[in-house]
Amino acid sequence: MTNQEVSSLNRKGASKWGTLTGRSARVAVALLPLLVFMGIFFFAPLTAVIWDSFQSNDGLFTLQNYADVFKEPIATAMRTSLGLALASAVVSAIPGAVLAFLIESRGSDRLRQLISSVAGVLANTGGVPLAFMFVAALGAAGSATGLFKLLGLDIYTAGFSLYTFWGLVLVYSYFQIPLMVIVFSPAIHGLRREWNEAAKTLGATGSQFWRHIGVPLLFPSFTSAFLLLFASAFSAYATARAMTNGTIALLPLMIGNLLDGNVIFDEVNLAKALAVAMVVVTLLAMVPYLIIQRRAERWQR
Amino acid sequence: MNLKRVVAVAAASAVVLGATVAISTPSQAAVNYCKVTDLKTAGGMDALVKAAKKEGALNVITLPRDWANYGEAMDLFSKAFGIKITDDNPDGSSAYEIQTIKTAPAAKQPDVVDIGVSALNGVIGAGQDKLFADYKVANFASIPSKWKDASGAWYGDYNGIIGISYDASVSPAPTKIADLTNPAYKGLVALTGDPTAGQEPFMSVYAASVANGGSVDNIQPGLDFFKKIKASGNFTSVKATGENYVAGAYKIALTWNFNAPGAIASAKAAGKNLKFVIPSDAVLAGTPYIQAINAKAPHCAAARLWEEFIYSANKGKFTADLKPADLKLSGSKLFNTIMGGQNVFVSGGATPILQDLLTKKKTLIDGPDGLNLPKGVKIQQPSPDQQVTGKALVAAQWPTL
Repeated sequence: MTNQEVSSLNRKGASKWGTLTGRSARVAVALLPLLVFMGIFFFAPLTAVIWDSFQSNDGLFTLQNYADVFKEPIATAMRTSLGLALASAVVSAIPGAVLAFLIESRGSDRLRQLISSVAGVLANTGGVPLAFMFVAALGAAGSATGLFKLLGLDIYTAGFSLYTFWGLVLVYSYFQIPLMVIVFSPAIHGLRREWNEAAKTLGATGSQFWRHIGVPLLFPSFTSAFLLLFASAFSAYATARAMTNGTIALLPLMIGNLLDGNVIFDEVNLAKALAVAMVVVTLLAMVPYLIIQRRAERWQR
Repeated sequence: MNLKRVVAVAAASAVVLGATVAISTPSQAAVNYCKVTDLKTAGGMDALVKAAKKEGALNVITLPRDWANYGEAMDLFSKAFGIKITDDNPDGSSAYEIQTIKTAPAAKQPDVVDIGVSALNGVIGAGQDKLFADYKVANFASIPSKWKDASGAWYGDYNGIIGISYDASVSPAPTKIADLTNPAYKGLVALTGDPTAGQEPFMSVYAASVANGGSVDNIQPGLDFFKKIKASGNFTSVKATGENYVAGAYKIALTWNFNAPGAIASAKAAGKNLKFVIPSDAVLAGTPYIQAINAKAPHCAAARLWEEFIYSANKGKFTADLKPADLKLSGSKLFNTIMGGQNVFVSGGATPILQDLLTKKKTLIDGPDGLNLPKGVKIQQPSPDQQVTGKALVAAQWPTL
């Protein structure tokens, strides 16, 4: 190693250390508002909720709230909520992924921009207005129901009802499919044309490319998007509340009734235990999401 | 300011204060309206109206305009006394009211609340009765002792009866709860909410129980009834709201009678013909809603004047009939000129808590047509204790109905 090289190395080392402290200080300052915000609106309430969930009505330590989580009707609500989240994720992820692929691979730039704006709006449509849209369209006296009737198909006599488990899955797909398009499109966009050309040059057929290259590359992104959809359906509240009046047992509705109802007033801490249970389930879904996302990023760079 | 001067000023003001108290009548003394516990200590109606007008504002909370004609009550109070009313979250719940008192900043605090009995029991059970200020309205003695706090921290104001509201196109027209099993009503019957969350749907389940061999002691037949009409497809779980009704999502709902006049008017405006009937097989009266003055009320005099107005048994003018000359009357005369709050509730179809007093004074006005009780039927009313048993059963069974 020449002197020059050594000195350059030293200089590099020194300057690197210097910049890092400067940079990390700057980063810390830049992050401060975010950290304060997160502290006030995320960590503080979360801590309070966890603390309260271990309290009885008399302010004593108890595990009873968590014992109740595994009792009826809460156990049923947990199963139904998980089932609804899973069903909604499956039903929405696949068409969403196909749509994202078609738009990314076949669509013009303008179409892509249009779809991404529209998807952004639809993915954020929810709550009571969404429930009302579906009631007005596909309710027993809805306009679409009437149209089907004109065409000779009475969907309600045929066994369809909007106010069932699968009715909710259908309504949720209205925001879940666009959400899938938004989160899955970048992965397809990152699938480089050169890889397909390279595979073809080496004699691969279309199906071979997908089997050995396309699908394995997209799988992590698909899984992570799927988990996001799962969490989104798991926590949806206002739409289900407006459509089911509590006749389908769902965790978010039970929490709402215990916290903000006019009938039950002495089980606020049980509601907080349910909230913690939901946080745990969401975390369990998010941990593989983060691991898989990290894997996916490796080749997206 | 040095210490000597402070002492001197304090001594001087003590002398002045003592002199004022000695020579003045209560109405001239500086009254702290936040500590006033009845009309007498308030210095009489003229003084109370004057102080309330000076405050010029009243914060109410979760009062829907259609509900028991609260819209008219607010308009009348506001116009008569020139007091601006702010209604926070009109469609909110009793839990929201209590939570707001506990957590909202001073300026956003409600002056008065109207809460359900369950919420009141929640507050009392948690030893938080000090959330409310003691104030005995002029007609306090006439409120049944079962529905008031002895020291005036809270008192019942009005209650309702569960009835059937239905679209005029429904054939045959329902007259009793048992009719709701009719196969002609497939997908048409709804509730105003989740009975584990709302008093109105919760009491609807009680009404169904009474109509099906149950009683206010036993809500189970009501749950069985809804299970049955859910299985037959008659019951739709869509929430019975004005919008959903106009969209045709349901045509029949169980509701409070005091919400019927407002709902009928809204339906008419949307080109629908909504009707209402008290079922002949169950006359189920709810427990009264509860009035209370917030201990942290930002407008103490207006809050007390509001309660005097709500419990006024007078028969007088509604907002539309008030003339400019009326507004120039002195406080007590003006108060006696306007319709009392108890009669405003009557005009909305509710049963006022002072009904006996109104009948005795011959000031009870006629309620809206069609909300009358069927003759010879026993009115049933679940007590707060019976409701505790009832809600445990509903909470356990409704989610898996």
